[in-house]
Amino acid sequence: MCGISGIMYKKSSDRDSAPIGSELVKMLDALAHRGRDSTGITIAGEKTAEDYIVRTWTNAEQASDVMAKAEEAIIRTGAVVASSTYLNGFGRLTVNYEGKVSDLASALVNTKGIELHSIGESSEIIKDVGTSTSIDTIHQISRFRGTHGIGHVRMATESKIDINHAHPFWAYPFPDVTVVHNGQLTNYHKLKHMYEDQGHRFQTGNDSEIIAVYLADKLANGDTLDSALQQSLNDLDGTFTYLVSTRNGLGYAKDQWAAKPLVAMETDDIIALASEEIALHSIFDTVADRVEPQESEVMTWSV
Amino acid sequence: MTYTLDADELSIREINKRLKQLSRTGAEIHIVNSRARHNIIVGLLDRCKITVQGSVGYYSASVSDGPEVIIEGNAGWALGENLMSGTVSVTRDAGASLAAGMRGGSVYVGGSAGARAGISMKGGTLLVRGNTGFLTGFMMQEGRIIVLGDAGESVGDSMYEGTIYVAGNIGSLGSDAKEEEASEDDLIGVWQTLEDHGIDQRPAFKKIVSARRLYHFDSLERLEMSAV
Repeated sequence: MCGISGIMYKKSSDRDSAPIGSELVKMLDALAHRGRDSTGITIAGEKTAEDYIVRTWTNAEQASDVMAKAEEAIIRTGAVVASSTYLNGFGRLTVNYEGKVSDLASALVNTKGIELHSIGESSEIIKDVGTSTSIDTIHQISRFRGTHGIGHVRMATESKIDINHAHPFWAYPFPDVTVVHNGQLTNYHKLKHMYEDQGHRFQTGNDSEIIAVYLADKLANGDTLDSALQQSLNDLDGTFTYLVSTRNGLGYAKDQWAAKPLVAMETDDIIALASEEIALHSIFDTVADRVEPQESEVMTWSV
Repeated sequence: MTYTLDADELSIREINKRLKQLSRTGAEIHIVNSRARHNIIVGLLDRCKITVQGSVGYYSASVSDGPEVIIEGNAGWALGENLMSGTVSVTRDAGASLAAGMRGGSVYVGGSAGARAGISMKGGTLLVRGNTGFLTGFMMQEGRIIVLGDAGESVGDSMYEGTIYVAGNIGSLGSDAKEEEASEDDLIGVWQTLEDHGIDQRPAFKKIVSARRLYHFDSLERLEMSAV
């Protein structure tokens, strides 16, 4: 069992400034009973002056040495590090960079001790072990604003509990494409071997990461997000309801068994998605018509 | 006597404890600020009237025997699970696994229901005014499911006994389910149920029952054999 949530503000007047961080924290807190192992969110929409936001993590004892090596690796790609902040092994860098994101990403993952959580033009992943309230205290998620985002509380079933195995997963090396998943994928190993043979990189042993890689592959081949989600219904085996966040988009896909819950609510201003209606009540005074998406259902929105 | 329980002030465990005490007195109870919290109203064994002013979460009005429950909002998964007797009605939508394993009484949904409505039902009546999702009446064993809207894919999959009536469209029939003509008596029974719920419509219904090919209906248990 896991809990997922997503939110998107539709109005242009709300763009970049909606309280996405605090609302996702509240929704995930309401879903805390669905998983207490780790919590993570993607905040999207607050475009920085720089080209990319990079999120990293290291558990090395000499974290500052590893971070310094990572910055050197970034600079060697021709990128300029505009800002960097470090906290408990977590790194947030903004960089100016005109090359291929895959080169920047591989420079980072080839740095010993560095785990790359996300690269985005306007999205970043913040994930940690613990509940939403505890990670909000550490990472000050509530202060983040944006247009949209997704979140996840995890009860681990398929792989170990640590920061790397927390959701969301980034669709390496596609900037801004991130995924949260509730369920279990039974053809994970088969797909993983196939994608590794094709040169895709996996950061973890978590089955959910395959969804991010799968979508990255489809998008690389020119598919739209909607089409990629549709195809995933046949290509992913197992149980899933997953949410995807992109630079401008938000979407969900639900498996053919309707095995994992989701409720969706859309008003003139906002789209809110959550495993359970209880999460919607945590941010809305009144929950208007919410629908429960059915089996093999896919939906995407964009701002 | 009417009592009001506030879910913002009392924990769900406290509410259920209070309900248990109050239901023995035959009191009428209102629950406010439910905010889709889970497990509201479980394990009640007395006749009493409970109105929830708002949505409820999972397993609401479940494992109970006798209460009359009205939910003015939505319900989450497994509303009315294992209901023995009594009535449960929700004004808006219900989630998946609605009335799972229900044994008696009636469950009414004013809106639509999710997947697996009436899964493993063992008695009673489930009436859904809107649509039902995937696997309606999955492994149903007894009782009636009445759907005024459309039913999704695989209606009546692997059902043993019981009857499913659908007024709208059927996505597909499930494994070992078959459609047969509803008799006049069947329709009178269904229409009576509609009337009981204040519904004026008297539509025609598709009747879905078990084709009885999937299970070994004719093979006898050891005890049954000795009786033949």
